[in-house]
Amino acid sequence: MEFWVELVASILLVTGATFAFIGSLGLAKLPDFYTRLHGPTKATTLGMGCLLIASMILVTYWQGYLSVHELLITLFLLITAPVTAYMLAKTAMHHKLQILEKTTDKTLSKRAAERMTP
Amino acid sequence: MNLLWVVLLPLIGTLVPLFTERFGRNICAFCVALLPAWSLILVLMYAPDIFNGQAIRQTIEWIPAIGLEVSFRLDGLSLLFLLLILGIGLLVILYARYYLSLKDSMSRFYVYLMLFMAAMVGIVTSNNLIQLWMFWELTSISSFLLISFWSHKSEARKGARMALTVTGAGGLALLAGLLLIGRIVGSYDLDTVLASSDIIHAHAAYPVALILVLLGAFTKSAQFPFHFWLPHAMAAPTPVSAYLHSATMVKAGIFLMARFYPVLAGTDLWFIIVSLTGLTTLLLGAYIALFKHDLKGLLAYSTISHLGLITLLLGLNSPLAAVAAIFHIINHATFKASLFMAAGIIDHESGSRDMRQLNGLWQYMPYTATLAIVAALAMAGVPLLNGFLSKEMFFAETLNQSVLGSLSWTIPLLAVIGAAFSVAYSLRFIHDVFFNGQPVDLPKTPQEPPRYVRIPVEILVALCLLVGIFPAFVVGDLLHIASFAVLDHTVPVHNLAIWHGLNLPLLMSFMAMVGGVILYYNRRHLFEFQSHFDTTDAKHIFERTIQSLVKAAESITNTLENGSLQRYVFTLLLCTLVMGGLPLIELTQNSGTRASIPLDGVTIVCALLMIFSAVATVIWHRRRFLALIFLSVVGLIVSLTFAKFSAPDLALTQLSVEIVTIILLLLALFFLPQSSLKESSNRRLSVDLLVAGLIGCVIGTLCYAMLTTPLNTMSDFFIANSKTGGGGTNVVNVILVDFRGFDTLGEIIVLGIAALGIFKLIANMRIAIPARDDKGRAWSNDPHPMMLEVVSQSLLPLALLVSAYIFLRGHNMPGGGFIAGLITSVAIIQQYIAHGVQWIKPRVTIDYQWIIASGILIATATGLGSWLFGQAFLSTWFDYFSLPWIGKFELASAMLFDLGVYLTVVGAVMLILANLGKLTTSERLDIQENN
Amino acid sequence: MLNIAITIAAVLMCLSLMLNLWRLFKGPSRPDRILALDTMYINSIALIILFGIFSRTTLYFEAALLIAMLGFVSTAAMCKYILRGDLIE
Repeated sequence: MEFWVELVASILLVTGATFAFIGSLGLAKLPDFYTRLHGPTKATTLGMGCLLIASMILVTYWQGYLSVHELLITLFLLITAPVTAYMLAKTAMHHKLQILEKTTDKTLSKRAAERMTP
Repeated sequence: MNLLWVVLLPLIGTLVPLFTERFGRNICAFCVALLPAWSLILVLMYAPDIFNGQAIRQTIEWIPAIGLEVSFRLDGLSLLFLLLILGIGLLVILYARYYLSLKDSMSRFYVYLMLFMAAMVGIVTSNNLIQLWMFWELTSISSFLLISFWSHKSEARKGARMALTVTGAGGLALLAGLLLIGRIVGSYDLDTVLASSDIIHAHAAYPVALILVLLGAFTKSAQFPFHFWLPHAMAAPTPVSAYLHSATMVKAGIFLMARFYPVLAGTDLWFIIVSLTGLTTLLLGAYIALFKHDLKGLLAYSTISHLGLITLLLGLNSPLAAVAAIFHIINHATFKASLFMAAGIIDHESGSRDMRQLNGLWQYMPYTATLAIVAALAMAGVPLLNGFLSKEMFFAETLNQSVLGSLSWTIPLLAVIGAAFSVAYSLRFIHDVFFNGQPVDLPKTPQEPPRYVRIPVEILVALCLLVGIFPAFVVGDLLHIASFAVLDHTVPVHNLAIWHGLNLPLLMSFMAMVGGVILYYNRRHLFEFQSHFDTTDAKHIFERTIQSLVKAAESITNTLENGSLQRYVFTLLLCTLVMGGLPLIELTQNSGTRASIPLDGVTIVCALLMIFSAVATVIWHRRRFLALIFLSVVGLIVSLTFAKFSAPDLALTQLSVEIVTIILLLLALFFLPQSSLKESSNRRLSVDLLVAGLIGCVIGTLCYAMLTTPLNTMSDFFIANSKTGGGGTNVVNVILVDFRGFDTLGEIIVLGIAALGIFKLIANMRIAIPARDDKGRAWSNDPHPMMLEVVSQSLLPLALLVSAYIFLRGHNMPGGGFIAGLITSVAIIQQYIAHGVQWIKPRVTIDYQWIIASGILIATATGLGSWLFGQAFLSTWFDYFSLPWIGKFELASAMLFDLGVYLTVVGAVMLILANLGKLTTSERLDIQENN
Repeated sequence: MLNIAITIAAVLMCLSLMLNLWRLFKGPSRPDRILALDTMYINSIALIILFGIFSRTTLYFEAALLIAMLGFVSTAAMCKYILRGDLIE
């Protein structure tokens, strides 16, 4: 196999997996739900992108023509991840989950509170 | 000419009354009579051949591979019975026309009667044991309907139930016997069976088969100790009694014994069982008949007695006795049918059947009385009437046997005693009813019946006289060919004459006459003697037995099925444990020769994840939503496992089923408590845990043994023929749409039915929505978040694209109609979730039921389409084409079939989920107050 | 080199999955658990892609695609369930 192809793919694979792992680590380690939400929806999605590009490069190289299958998955993930995050955040707010003190921006929340109650 | 029509015509006749009743009773009866008359003419056209000693056969093959066929045969014995069944049947149709009152539904009666007639014709013409049995059971069922014709009467219902229970149980014994005989001979063909008498006699199972067959015959022919149902069946309308309980149904048992006479008779066992049963029945019936005050009761017991006589004759193992038995079948049918009809006339015209009320009817209805008296004298065995001839043959035969050794002389003696009683009750019938003073408290004044109702009686009585005076001329040939069939083509010399000279049988007849007169004259002493015994009614014993059986069954059912699902699963698993575990104990080595696949880290981790999630599901099963999440993890890992072990199709299916299931469970969970209480004791839990653990061990061991054993399965065949036979390289899909296409067709039909059933169940159900969730929080007031709406909508075409892609490549690559259908459903469901029913309604106007229907239709039409090309059902057609721009591609009829599967799945899933979702359209009441 | 990279990636993904399951066990809230499940769906896509690269086949691509698509539906449905109780209204 062409060395460059292999190198690029390997780097992308390891990078992607690392990002995904960081996302999961964040999910496990971070203190409250709202911070935990960041990990999987951002880092993991990026990691998945890397992995899929790696797969795309390799499959294209092996088959000899451009493989676009992976783009479809990437598209799916990129479209859905924000919505997932949005829905989960909505759920969490609905449940009035505890918010970490230092992550709250007093001015913003005050303004929001004013807007909510007419 | 067609033998099949002999059976079919009466069967078609069951429909005639339904269409002709509106034209009036006369036309209805006439039209009904046409079909059996036609059938009788067909039979008579065959008669010359039969009289030449031939037997006519006709066979229609059904499933030749397992010896199933519809097969008929007509020989002497069948001819005799056909003449009785169809001839007396015609007379009964005429009689019933005048007998049934305007309140009775005539068409219903004729439908039952024709059904019964068809069944009887079927019995006597069947040339296949199973087919014979089927008609046999049909007579039980149709006689049940006939006896319970006046279903508003309790005694009619009880009598019918008793008859059905006894004859039906006997029928089951008969089935066992016939199957055994079929097994011994190796064929269910009656011709083959009748030719294998040596094999059957020599076989070790002969006694069992004999007893089983005789059980069937004895229950049907009301032989002791099964005789008790016949008197209770007298609750039936009299035409039924005249037909079923004199000439046909009770004779079916006799027919069976005669039919199997060549193969079952001739042994000591046959002699002992059949003759002793016959003798007991003869004496018992004759004795009880004398004490019956009910006119039909007397006739019923006399029927039992005469059936016993025929049975005794058949049991004597002598050819001449068999001839006498057949002769008596004819005679009994004629005089007893006419007596029943006469009894029916008396009942009809005077309103009573009680002989203590019926006296001196001679002066009111002399003509009917004459007919009845002649028939009763025939029953008594008076010379110049048919009963005398067969009775004398019977006496001669009892003298000729020597089977009880030095005690053989008792049989003629008992026969004479039985005959004397028979004379006595015949005298009672004549003297009590027509003479003996004046009627007592009759509901109405007796008078002569209408002209036509007497015709059947006249014909039958005339036959009694004709046979009695010119026996050889009238029935000689018929008797000869019937005996010819029963006795396997060797008929002994017999002489049908009135006068055989002064001999012992004549003396016995004379003794019976004198004895009968003496018995009747001293009847008061006899009645007084009899009153010392407490006569327990068989009905009460029977009902008590049935009740206790029902109670026992109920208690067993209640013990086993107490409504606890936990208990059922426990029982089921315990049985599995015993059945599956015991063989494993005997297995010394559970690993086969196949080498293990090396373990890798990812697999181990996945296995661990699955184990933890599964255990967590069990631990938290009371918190239902949590359990559902853990269950989803299990499903996910299972599909990963499928992918890992080279089953991409399974992985795809598992994934899509998984999501649909989650949505279904979420929909259902909304209406259920969010957590369930702890209901079982700790002891119960530990027992359940133990059983579940043991089952796990057994299943695990089995799996291990299976997986490590190299098995020679069908897979190789599928792989080798998938491309050449089915035109696809995806073996899984080719199996679904081609090799096992018929299964798939059945499954999608079941799926469609299930979906429709669920739809029907919940279609009009509305469930109130809880105003708050389980923690008491109000629901969110944003039913359709905008982001979700927009993104779901933009995902729809993408999802449909994926679904189409998976559908199209299904034949050669992982995919197919089922998975594609599920994906489409999920995509549409997502729209329901995001937008709600109100948004979908104007956009999706097609009815999901139509989708199901069209799917099944397409799949079936594809299957049927192969018939157009002379291929078997669901044969796959495929070919390769090439078009510019697209290149070479394949077209296969399997894809069309797969389209049917796809549509059915989409329709079914959507019908279920969308309607589950629609259960709640009512407003949420306190949403405003809480926000 | 590629195989080493695949191995490293696979190890990382397995660790991720275990961390996800740990969060799933621990909770404490329902959104936490749903989030963990969703992350597990996405991480399994990665595993399947890696397996596909490892065995040089595109046969498993559809499985990954389906997980991406259906995982979203499942997560959305669960969120809707918590928010409104009734999925389809």
